[in-house]
Amino acid sequence: MAQTGEIQLERVTKRFGPMVAVRDIELVIPHGCYCCLLGPSGCGKTTILRMIAGHEEPSAGRVRIGGEDVTGLAPVGRGTAMMFQSYALFPHMSVLDNVAYNLRMRGVGKAARREQAQAMLARVHLEAFADRMPAQLSGGQQQRVALARALITNPRVLLLDEPLSALDEFLRLQMRGELRRLQRELGITFIHVTHTQLEAIALADLVVVMDQGRIEQAGSAQAIYSEPQTAYVARFMGGQNVLSGKVTTVAEGEAILLSEPGDRFALPVQGRALPVGTPVHCAVRRDRIQLERLPGPGRAGQINALAGTVHAIEYQGSYVKVTLDVPGWPDFVANVADDRFFAAPVDIGDAVRARWSANDAHLLEGDLGRAPKAAGTIGLYDQELGLAQA
Amino acid sequence: MAEMRSGRRPWTFYALAAFFTLFVLFLYGPMSAIYILSFQGPNGGLTFPLNGVSLKWFYALFQQQRTGDIAGSFARSIALALIVLILTVVISVMAGLAFRRRFLGAGVIFYMAIASLIMPGLLVSLGIGLMFQFLGIGTNWYTSALGAHLTWTLPFGLLIMFAVFSRFNRAYEEAARDLGASDWAILWTIVLPILLPGMIAVALFGFTLSYDEFPRTSIAVGPSNTLPLEIWNMTTNVTSPALYAIGTVTTAVSFLVIALALGSIALIQRRRTRRVLQTSEGGR
Repeated sequence: MAQTGEIQLERVTKRFGPMVAVRDIELVIPHGCYCCLLGPSGCGKTTILRMIAGHEEPSAGRVRIGGEDVTGLAPVGRGTAMMFQSYALFPHMSVLDNVAYNLRMRGVGKAARREQAQAMLARVHLEAFADRMPAQLSGGQQQRVALARALITNPRVLLLDEPLSALDEFLRLQMRGELRRLQRELGITFIHVTHTQLEAIALADLVVVMDQGRIEQAGSAQAIYSEPQTAYVARFMGGQNVLSGKVTTVAEGEAILLSEPGDRFALPVQGRALPVGTPVHCAVRRDRIQLERLPGPGRAGQINALAGTVHAIEYQGSYVKVTLDVPGWPDFVANVADDRFFAAPVDIGDAVRARWSANDAHLLEGDLGRAPKAAGTIGLYDQELGLAQA
Repeated sequence: MAEMRSGRRPWTFYALAAFFTLFVLFLYGPMSAIYILSFQGPNGGLTFPLNGVSLKWFYALFQQQRTGDIAGSFARSIALALIVLILTVVISVMAGLAFRRRFLGAGVIFYMAIASLIMPGLLVSLGIGLMFQFLGIGTNWYTSALGAHLTWTLPFGLLIMFAVFSRFNRAYEEAARDLGASDWAILWTIVLPILLPGMIAVALFGFTLSYDEFPRTSIAVGPSNTLPLEIWNMTTNVTSPALYAIGTVTTAVSFLVIALALGSIALIQRRRTRRVLQTSEGGR
């Protein structure tokens, strides 16, 4: 497989009966990139992964790998390898036989395939477990067997379906680091499906945020987190407060918004034409918000400020998450650095003013959009599986 | 600790324990009497007390007797049960695989198969006998009776395979396909080995249901009887403890079959969970 692992999705759509799991997606994942497909369950991210792997065929559009059109090709002809969500280790085969399975299917002799499989196991530090059965391994060990079994095919693209979701918190962080290191070492494309925001931004060169079968935003982790383009991404990534209002004045590259409850916000126009009266949305980073105690409830009385009462306080180690009750703005959160918080602590029920500077706010595209779906919602894909099994 | 617990046992414990004791007595009491009486002495009769102990009646079983052909019918029953076993396993597995895809008419076919469980066995037998007569083909244990047995064993086999497949993770097949396995390779190296315990259960059902089948065989069996029919005939005209010896031998065969099946399932499960000393080529 000398070709590169560049993935191109050209206007890919996938329907399951009347349901549309993936809508008209365009995406290019460069060769050697660590890409995370991020979104709530049912957003279509697993379906995209399976279409790249060849376990699902698009209803419309083409899939290219390394420039070659692989639409309709069997999984084995694509140079991809997939690691399944529950690992899908064959329960009746030893670890060694699991890892050697691809070689056995390719007709490699018994001695040769054992030797190669043993070498691959050494690579994931499991050489001592070659004779075990999968059920005798811990979750982390099973994951590494699955990794070895996929990598022995010498793929140009490794597809990982929620690879860390079955592990406990400690192992998850450890394996996260190992996956990243392995990807650097191999230099191949990794596509990793996850519903965990922090996992995606910690790992990926390219984060693709999805919702309802569409790509909301694709970009670097930093761009996704600190400069979300849409209200959906801003809310889903969790680092921002989303505000909205109508443009009242535009001057010197700065626009002033008037919100429905009567607050005024200033923000850079970022080169966009904003006619007066346009309803727009903006995001303000939660960690750039400063809190001041007020003598009592009232209005903030200044631009780029909101008044409210403290609803909840969560200590997070390096910062304190302070959730405010602000009339008209539910879920307004200020992440206050721990030293600043403890220098002037606030308590639940205190009246406070939240302030930020115009440069920490930025414009969002499109309408306010949909609120991110709660975790655990049954997705299209899950429903489809349920149907197939019934 | 145990004493403390026994002191607090509610009255329902004793009521249910008594009920269970009665159940066990009713289940095993009469059968035990038969097993004991089958070892009756040479001059003993059909009832207690034992008049000495001997194996005479077992020996008598395997002689050609004017009263009945025990050895022949036993051989026929075993042969028939083995044929039914093989056909039931093969057809049930194939049907189980087929029913995973929703094909046109899947529901109708499923309910028709299950309906044959509710149909009175005697009527099934009568129908098959009449049909063979109508077509001018002679009934026989390996033709008409075989079909009659399959109407009984296949629905069971199908239901077991449904239960087995409902727990079968399709990701195994996808993983194998991802690793370059052809459809045939997936079937032989992944699906069948993982289904093996379920297939043994189907085999066990196929064998035992066929081996002691009576009503469905009764009219479809043709000139040579299976063992249950032969025993039934003999109860009307045999008056020696040989009758009890038949009971003991057939029970022993049943237990042997069950032990074989459960033993092999346990062996497979153990191979999958316990450390295998020598690496084996899985699935071969």
